[in-house]
Amino acid sequence: MKYEKFFKLLEIASRLFLYINNRLGERRVWMKRSDCVVFGFSFMGIVFCMLLSFLFINRESTFTLVIFDLLFVSLTFPLDGKLIYKACLLLMGNILGSFWNYLFSSFSSVGTYYLGDFFNALCTFISPFANLVWIVSFWSMSLTLLANSKKEGETKI
Amino acid sequence: MIAEILEAVFILLTVLMIAYLGRHYIFTLTVLKNSRKREKFVTKEKLALAYQPSVTILIPARDEERVIGRILQRITELTYPKDKMQIIVIDDASADNTGKIAEEYSKLHNYIQIIHRSKEEGGKGKAAALNAGVMHANGEIIFCFDADYYPQKDILEKLTKEFVDPKVGAVQGRVIVLNEPQNMVTRLVALERIGGYRVDQKARDNLGLITQFGGTVGGFRHSLIECLGGWNESILAEDTDLTFRVYLAGYRISYVYDAECYEEAVENWHAYWKQRYRWAKGHMQCAFKHLFKVLKSNNLTLKEKIDGLLLLNVYFMPILVLLSYIVGVPLLFAYHPQWVSICWAFIPISLYSFVGNFAPFFEVGIGAYLDGRTRAQWLIPLLIFTFLYNIAICTKALTDLIMSKIIGKNGNNWAKTLHSGNGNIYITN
Repeated sequence: MKYEKFFKLLEIASRLFLYINNRLGERRVWMKRSDCVVFGFSFMGIVFCMLLSFLFINRESTFTLVIFDLLFVSLTFPLDGKLIYKACLLLMGNILGSFWNYLFSSFSSVGTYYLGDFFNALCTFISPFANLVWIVSFWSMSLTLLANSKKEGETKI
Repeated sequence: MIAEILEAVFILLTVLMIAYLGRHYIFTLTVLKNSRKREKFVTKEKLALAYQPSVTILIPARDEERVIGRILQRITELTYPKDKMQIIVIDDASADNTGKIAEEYSKLHNYIQIIHRSKEEGGKGKAAALNAGVMHANGEIIFCFDADYYPQKDILEKLTKEFVDPKVGAVQGRVIVLNEPQNMVTRLVALERIGGYRVDQKARDNLGLITQFGGTVGGFRHSLIECLGGWNESILAEDTDLTFRVYLAGYRISYVYDAECYEEAVENWHAYWKQRYRWAKGHMQCAFKHLFKVLKSNNLTLKEKIDGLLLLNVYFMPILVLLSYIVGVPLLFAYHPQWVSICWAFIPISLYSFVGNFAPFFEVGIGAYLDGRTRAQWLIPLLIFTFLYNIAICTKALTDLIMSKIIGKNGNNWAKTLHSGNGNIYITN
């Protein structure tokens, strides 16, 4: 009873995922309670990543994460594959993105300290490419995993 | 003052990038949605059973001895009634045995004809060769296939059925790379083709936008092509030019994505440069020629006009992305406007909006997924190299075009793509 409110919150978050999936995928998926918990954690994890990047990295990285999330949710959620799997992939993408941007911004700060503003300008110039590396690589990897999971599902049937 | 100008330029560039990004995003969503629905072709197919018009297939060939036999052999295997077929091979002043090989097929099959063009007449580009072929054509529908292509056996049935609709002036089939496993260049070109034909063209057809005629694996009504005066020999992208002339004339182009034809893609970066340079320069010529006509046209709907403008200007975008970099960096450091850092985040996504065949990574990815191309998806990050290459290609094409306008000299040299015939080993029927 003590954690009822917490579970309620998780359930609301998971229903949000389910709503997006059903709207875009045009099919009804019903979830077990355990799946709801995983969804809730994924959702909260994503929000946490965004908050961290906004507070400790920079706005640019937060905005990149938002674009990535929007593209990922709208374009990969309608694909075949378990919903829970997609939510976990999305969370992993957010963790990877935050970590990547944190490393890059630390690298930029240290480099600027020793090498001056030129290094900062250089880092700014290459930051879109650096972001592109993780976004596109993670995207293509996720699609491959989803395609493989679809194949496995077909084999079982 | 400088800061304000830079800001205005950066805003404009960001808006353009977002427009293209949004366009491709809508395309991808449309194809995803439609992939779950069953295509409603039943009525059209029933009508097509009774509609089998006479057709002429034009095959322009210049120094294609390694591949011409392959396509002619395949043409003889097509399931379309042979008494309704006329094949015209235009031997465009070939220095090799292209003409001789075609002659051998002509002796065996009476529906195959050869037009030999002399050294004085030939070598002026594909458009000139096709115009020479049209003069001898007697089919109601005229199809064009490049010599390195390898069509499905029932491709003509799939394509001609679209002409049941009187508004359809032309059709376009799907191009798939035949020699994809050959090397990295062919693999990357294959990914571009997936983005372009599996998603981009399909979505444009579904949304009723400007479907592009790709110069090959397509056909036109004979009456329409005569009305339009044939292919434009003064433009390097004669296919894009014809696309817009068809739409401006009040007809539309239908895309048949299950009418597949296999092509031999360029095999090295030098050939890639030459081919894409021709496309870029030709496309830019079309942009200058048709931009205002598209805006003023009464035959185009608003959405067709918007898509037409975006399509015409697509080869300028790699240059504009580069420009956004040049403008964005001083803005970020010298003037620090708050919003620039947010717009800056758009660039990584936008970069991929203009990659290769101008399909962003998510479009290529979804196309590959829908095609079941699991392994090919791993190569998507490498498309950045083709994008960087395209920046150089498009910049060179634009510079040359401007220079030729200033000097007043027509620099339209048709750079022929040579085909090695290596695709033969991948044909298994």
